Parts: sequence; structure tokens; C-alpha cells
Amino acid sequence: MYGWHGRILRINLNTGKASSEEIDPKIAKDYIGGRGWAIRYLADEVDPRVDPFSPDNKLIFATGPLTATTAPTGNRYMVVTKSPLTGALAHSNSGGDFPTWMKRTGHDMFIFEGRAEEPVYVWVNEDQVEIRPAAHLWGKDVHETTDILLGETDAKAKVACIGPAGENLVLMAVIMNDKHRAAARSGVGAVMGSKNLKAVVVMGRKNPDLYDDEGMRRYSVELSKQVGVDIKKGSSLRVYGTAYVPQVTNTLGILPTRNFQTGVFEGVDSIDGVALKEKYLISHKPCYRCPISCGRLTAVDEEEYAGKGEGPEYETIASLGSACGVDNLAALTKANYYCNELGLDTISTGLTIAAAMELYEMGVIGIDEIGRPLPFGDADAVIDMVQKIAYRDGFGDELAEGSFRLAERYNHPEVSVTARKQEFPGYDPRGSQGMGLLYATSNKGASHMEGDVAYEEVFGTPVKADPLSTDGKGELVARFQDAFALIDSGGICVFFAVRYVFTKEMMIWPVQLSRLLNLTTGADYSPEEAIQAAERVYNLERMFLIGAGSGPEQDTLSPRMLHEPMPDGPAKGRVVDLEIMLSEYYQVRDWPGGIPSEEKLSSLGLI
Amino acid sequence: MIVRVKLIATYREHLPPGTNGNSTEVDVPPGHTVGEVLTPFNIPMDDSSVIVLNGLTVPLDTVVVEGDTVAAFSAIAGG
Repeated sequence: MYGWHGRILRINLNTGKASSEEIDPKIAKDYIGGRGWAIRYLADEVDPRVDPFSPDNKLIFATGPLTATTAPTGNRYMVVTKSPLTGALAHSNSGGDFPTWMKRTGHDMFIFEGRAEEPVYVWVNEDQVEIRPAAHLWGKDVHETTDILLGETDAKAKVACIGPAGENLVLMAVIMNDKHRAAARSGVGAVMGSKNLKAVVVMGRKNPDLYDDEGMRRYSVELSKQVGVDIKKGSSLRVYGTAYVPQVTNTLGILPTRNFQTGVFEGVDSIDGVALKEKYLISHKPCYRCPISCGRLTAVDEEEYAGKGEGPEYETIASLGSACGVDNLAALTKANYYCNELGLDTISTGLTIAAAMELYEMGVIGIDEIGRPLPFGDADAVIDMVQKIAYRDGFGDELAEGSFRLAERYNHPEVSVTARKQEFPGYDPRGSQGMGLLYATSNKGASHMEGDVAYEEVFGTPVKADPLSTDGKGELVARFQDAFALIDSGGICVFFAVRYVFTKEMMIWPVQLSRLLNLTTGADYSPEEAIQAAERVYNLERMFLIGAGSGPEQDTLSPRMLHEPMPDGPAKGRVVDLEIMLSEYYQVRDWPGGIPSEEKLSSLGLI
Repeated sequence: MIVRVKLIATYREHLPPGTNGNSTEVDVPPGHTVGEVLTPFNIPMDDSSVIVLNGLTVPLDTVVVEGDTVAAFSAIAGG
């Protein structure tokens, strides 16, 4: 095979045995790779009703055909499993170096099954696979774990691991790779912890064979040059990283503030990318061979918050910052470092603390329960709570279950800003209506990484859409969801892909991306076939959700979004007009009542 | 009449030298449009820019009034 190795590594943690198997070439093409392959295997092998922490749940790491190629940003992997946070599907995406090294082991995908009796880590050096004891690593943070493992294996290897949060089955635990990069959402780190799997270490030199090596090299250079032209013009992503976004969302009145009680934050100037660049930026830190280089290496000098690491990204500034009413950049950066070191998703962690802050200010919970005051704006309290969540220490044990369960426990559902029990990312959908529909229908629960129509509604890419309008948003969201399923299955980054390998003339259509896939695999995808494959992936995920009991009845948003009008800013007076968009969306998807029709499933080869 | 112009991220460099923060006030005659307010700042007036009036999507020929804020930023990827 070209592009794909066509090989899957299966690691049974019950028996301690690893085996390699080949993938059916038809499945390879029909599901593309990455997220697509992973859901095909998960749906075939795991009962969607399984307890996410049962040994019967499986944890899948999957690269795509463009991973470890010259395709710009061709360095992503997906972690797919049943989510303990949403009770439905998790598919979390990460970059860094790990994805390329994983693919260079000669395998496209790893499937972890069962549960080890004692803590272990897995060391994959091409065809040599060892399951080694990890008792000495249990309890250690991500940085310590990574350093020790590089010493025990190969200094040039790459590590993905969990921190204490994953060990303690915190529902917002992540899998960190290369110390600072996260497969962040939906509690994938807790599933890894439930399997007693502390880390996966990879090393190899097996680049995939490409169908047209020279053509791929030339086209990659051409695409990289297009990125270079934008960077020369002054790319905000290059200059400020994603941290430039708070000023944008605040201007549009959709920056989550004090647990989404409003979308305008008075302290935005203190926590934006300009402040970060002036005060704490050390250097850019790209993922492997990325021409955009949006990552930031930072260091904080202030004694109280001293530290060094990557971030904060926009999502972290919104969740641990404005959503908690925090305008102290040093403190929120420190909270970000702790999340990375302890292995926590900054979005769900920040929003769960924000929900608790609202409950505190309402007088529903007090110092007796929390052990300290917890008002909005208390940056030190945020740092304290982050650590308590990771160790399930005191009140942290309640927060470790996420904001949905917290709000239920105290009988105030309005303080949980979630869809499918997963916390919103940093775009208040009352002022970005399409994002509301996206969150409500996203297969992984509220997420911007599953069809980010903020590209159009907020950032004007590839074309500008009015964020307050609901017109045509059903179709827009469906098209973006399919586009993102294609990107996630291909193994490249959305920051590159949306702008450079889709044509805007037909909304969002993968003309250039199909060419990349064909140069790599020789599989001769037309753009229509590529999108149909993505639609197949999306529908199969939807069927898994329905099987898991997270079907159409869960296509909704928390009550605040539907019933509490935005109090001020450009979106003042608006709620999310979900019903009208959802009706169009079901029609576009051919999902009568939210269930894929037999004709749809049949046309995709799913029945 | 006074209108505020806010230029975000890399567009800050289009503000007059010495501007503190990301916005400045301009004095424009009545009847000025969003596009005319931005003209002196040399912002690309095509689809490579996102331009909003008081945070709202409007046509560039929308007439501004006293106290309005016109904001612009580069139309590239999100977070």
C-alpha cells in the first residue's frame, strides 16, 4: 500500500501480547484513516453500551495517510474510544512530534484492549513491542514521566502519557504527548488510566511509501509557499498564536465570561496575545515540520506563578481566564502549566471551576463544601482547584466529574454550559448561532474541533457568514462536520486545511485535499468520493452514539443558551435559535427525527 | 463626530505610531460610512479582512454615527 502502511498494532493488556495485522484495502480507502479507521474498528469491536472504564472498552490511537508525509501539517493523530465524560464517543486530536514517530513504527494505528493488572507502559520500536512495568511512574506528572521514559528507551523516541488526573479517572483527563500537546477532550486520559496504561513510547524510521513521491514533494512545496505568502503579509496565528483570538471574540461579544453569563470581558486586554507576547513569550514552538508554527513556548518569572511550558492557547485563556473572571495572565498561565503537567483538559477544567464559582456566588455551596472562598476572579483559587481536581482531593473530587454532574448534584442545571455533558469551547453560541448547532449535534459533545463554523462566522474563512443569522446554518454545519471528519481522517491540521486545501467556491469542498490524498495513496479519490467517505465516518459515529443512548434527544444545549438572552454586547437579547437550525440540519443530513435514514445508510455502504 | 477604530492582532500596525492599545478615535463628518472610516488606515478592503460595526456584520457602505466602533482583523483561522 501507499501512504498507509496498512498495518495495525493490537496490544492486549490482559494477556500482555502484541500482534500486528493488515487492514482490508477496501476499508482503508472507504474510511481514509485516522478518525475514520478508528470508528470503523470501534464500532465493529465495542458494544456502544459498554462502561467506558470496563476492560471491554478499547483505546485507539490512529494516524492518517498524510501523517508522516511532506503534506504541510501532516503530523496529527486521533485518540478514539468511548468517553466517560459524555457516555458517547471520544475522538481527540493532537499534533507535536508523536504522530509522525508513531507512524514511523510501521503501523498506522494502535488498538489497546483489556486492562493490565499492574501499571504498564508500552514501548514500540518498529516491530519490537514491549509491555513494561510502570509502577515507578505511577503518580508522576507528565514532564517527569516523559523524561524518565526517554532515559529508559531512546532519547530520540517520543512519548504520549497520562498524568495523575488520568490515573485518578478524572473525567476531563487528557493524553499528553511531547510534554505539552494534548489529545484533550472527553476524558480519553481517564480511559487510558482505567487500563493501567501510563504511557506509550514510539520510535521508528519507517516512513510510508508514497504513490507519487516527486509529485507529492512538489505539491507540498507549492502549498507551503501559499502559507508563506500569508505569513509574510502578517499572519496573526504566526505572530500571536491562537492567543490573538480573545480580542476578536470579545469584539463580537462571544468571549465566555463568568461562566457564560455574558460575552464581553472587561479584562480582555490583560490576557490577550499582545500581553502574552510582550510579557512571557520565549519562542515559537511548531509541531513537527509545520509551516504555520502557532505554538508558543512561554515562561513566567513572577515568583508566585513561576514556570515554563507551552501555552496558553485561546481556549485556555477563555476557560481558565475570562470564564472564571480571571484577568491575571501570569496566574492563568500557571494554571495552564499545571493542567499540562497533571494531565487535564483546560476547557472542561476551567468551565467546571467556573460553574462552581457561580454556585458559590449564588450561595448554593460555601466554604464548608469547598474548603475556601471561590468567587469569580480569584486566580489563586483556580490554581488551587486545578490541583485538587487532578488528585480528586477534597472538593476536587466533585469537580473531577465535570460541570454537568456538579450542576445536577446541586440542582442547578443552568450553571453547566455543556452539550452531551461536555463543556463548551470559547465561542458563546448566542452570538455565533452556527456554533450552537455544531455543539448540539457534535458526535463528541460540545467541541470546536468537529466542524468549526467559527471559521466563517467569526474569522471570515473561507468566506464570511453572519454569526447572528440562522439562515443556511444547517447545511453549513453539516458541510463543516464532514470536512473536519476528512481532515481528522487524513492526518493534517485544521489550521492549514480549511484555508489551503478546500475550495470556497462550493462552500467547503476538498479539491486540493483529494489531490494530496491521491498523490499519497494512489487511491484515486474524487472530491465527491472523499466527502462521501467523510460522511460515512460521520454517520457511523452517529450510529455509535445512538447505540450508546446519546441520540437525537441529546441534540440540545444547556438551558442558559436556550432560555437566558445574552445580557449585553453585540448579541444582546439573543438565545440560540436551535430548533429551526436543527430541522434544516436533519433534512440536509437525511436524518428524519435525527436518525439516519435507511437510504442514507445504504448509500454510504453502512447497511 | 467621534468614532472609535479598533484594529486587532497584526492589524494593530495600521494604527498611528505611538497608539496605546488596539484602538484610536477619529473625527469624521456626518454621513461617513464604515469603509470611509477605515480608508486612512490602509486595511485590505477585500475578503482577507473581517470588518464589523459595533461587533455586527454590516455592509461597508453602512453609515456610522457618533460613538460607533468600527473593528477590523485579518481573516485567518481561529483557535
